[in-house]
Amino acid sequence: MASDPIAGVPLPWPDQPGELPRHFRNRQALAQTLEQLFPEAAGSLSPVRGGRHQADTLLARLQPERYAKGRNFLDGPVTRLSPYIRHGVLTLAEVREAVFARTRSRQGSEKLINELGWRDYWQRLWQQLGDGLWRDQEELKTGHSAAAYARELPADILEARTGLACMDGFIEELHGTGWLHNHARMWLAAYLVHWRRIRWQTGAQWFLQHLLDGDPASNALSWQWVASSFSHKPYIFNRGNLERYSNGRACRHCPLATEGCPFEASYEQLEADLFAPMPTIRATDNRRGGRDASRSGNRGRSGTTQGSSTTALSRPTPRR
Amino acid sequence: MQRPILWIHGEALGPANPALVAHPGRPAVFVFDSALLLGRSASTGDPSSPAEPVSLKRIGFLYECLLELPVSLRRGDVAEEVLTFAAAHGADGIVTCASNDPRVARITETLLRQLPVQVLAVEPFVQLDGPVDLGRFSRYWRRAEPQVWAGWREPGP
Ligand SMILES: Cc1cc2nc3c(=O)[nH]c(=O)nc-3n(C[C@H](O)[C@H](O)[C@H](O)COP(=O)(O)OP(=O)(O)OC[C@H]3O[C@@H](n4cnc5c(N)ncnc54)[C@H](O)[C@@H]3O)c2cc1C
Repeated sequence: MASDPIAGVPLPWPDQPGELPRHFRNRQALAQTLEQLFPEAAGSLSPVRGGRHQADTLLARLQPERYAKGRNFLDGPVTRLSPYIRHGVLTLAEVREAVFARTRSRQGSEKLINELGWRDYWQRLWQQLGDGLWRDQEELKTGHSAAAYARELPADILEARTGLACMDGFIEELHGTGWLHNHARMWLAAYLVHWRRIRWQTGAQWFLQHLLDGDPASNALSWQWVASSFSHKPYIFNRGNLERYSNGRACRHCPLATEGCPFEASYEQLEADLFAPMPTIRATDNRRGGRDASRSGNRGRSGTTQGSSTTALSRPTPRR
Repeated sequence: MQRPILWIHGEALGPANPALVAHPGRPAVFVFDSALLLGRSASTGDPSSPAEPVSLKRIGFLYECLLELPVSLRRGDVAEEVLTFAAAHGADGIVTCASNDPRVARITETLLRQLPVQVLAVEPFVQLDGPVDLGRFSRYWRRAEPQVWAGWREPGP
């Protein structure tokens, strides 16, 4: 409850001068104290609470099989464990064991275990790259030079007034709660980088300001994947894809729903509009007959391999 | 080390933190890293962009995690604050846990100039010996997946 007192666990050693308070009348009082202690930090608390207690509540709700089927939908049964995992409130090993304990058949839990693998993968890359993960890992495959991308976030994005109900909704959720569904992160990142042509680093830094799970490795490298400096081609989506996995929620009241939606087009058309001609994009695209088919569910680098789950960045898996 | 203090950093804010497990009851400290929270670190921002402070949401989340742990809270320069805490408790060393963040490694270097530091490993998601090809996720996963699943026991009838 928001009005309950908040007390830190007792410490068996005496307080020293300069130590920060560990008892608060309620959550509101905690927020006020933090505003005084950290005056540069914008905004207030997230409705998402920190702590192992909350993490255990989420852990008890894990449903690996439902997760595999519904994880791509904004209202699907994703775990929301990321902030707790990022800050080691739960270790990946603890989450792995919790998944195992709810696993009757290996196949039913493979997807969730695979996603935990993504976190482990980015962390291993962080060890290898260090702060270098802020640099382009490869050159962009958009036909535009890195210098063509803006360094600053435009005001309409910072103020959630792009006029696109979907994007404005995602921005408000990011600013208000510090958490976004993976699909919303992918769409918002693609919108910034490809439609608005903003540097991925600028977007990644903005995410890190707000995401409770903000992690340099998962974040910067996912942005690079969207941008195409860590993948074979840029990630884009279209309205059909967004509408499907958001159950049309934002489109229903979007002023641009009937005319002027920048995402309302085929993938061929969008590529032609957004990217400069680059022979390699064409060459890699033709691997799999119908491009739209490969994109609508699961686009990315998986064209020539069998298993979507192992090659794509936590991206939508085709529904089976 | 007879009388260590424990340095808890932002990658291990749970009861499984190996320093807390190995030394229950020893004085432990977490320091809100001022420069990092102002966005002046590669952990919170692009090194080639102007710094932007981290929002209060993130600080509040960390704070709530920390209140559930036996740990004193300070803010400022991390190494300085940890050493002040160590001196106040007459510590002869510091125990912490491993991290992937190069910033933690740099702070550890600074601490080492004053006191011995023991860095404990966190239980890994998957143990892979020797070099691992991280060129793409698929290559990593081809090696890792069978190892991860080797730890699962099919439930009995
Ligand atoms: C542009 C962009 C930025 C991102 N930034 C971050 C970030 O800063 N921190 C972060 O933890 N994740 C980040 N992700 C990955 C992913 O979106 C989130 O981990 C996931 O949405 C968190 O929600 P969940 O806990 O419900 O995930 P679930 O789908 O329930 O997955 C369970 C856990 O697996 C891990 N995981 C799942 N997908 C990924 C992934 N693609 N990469 C890494 N770990 C994953 C997370 O720890 C997650 O908690 C980013 C993705 C994109 C596209």
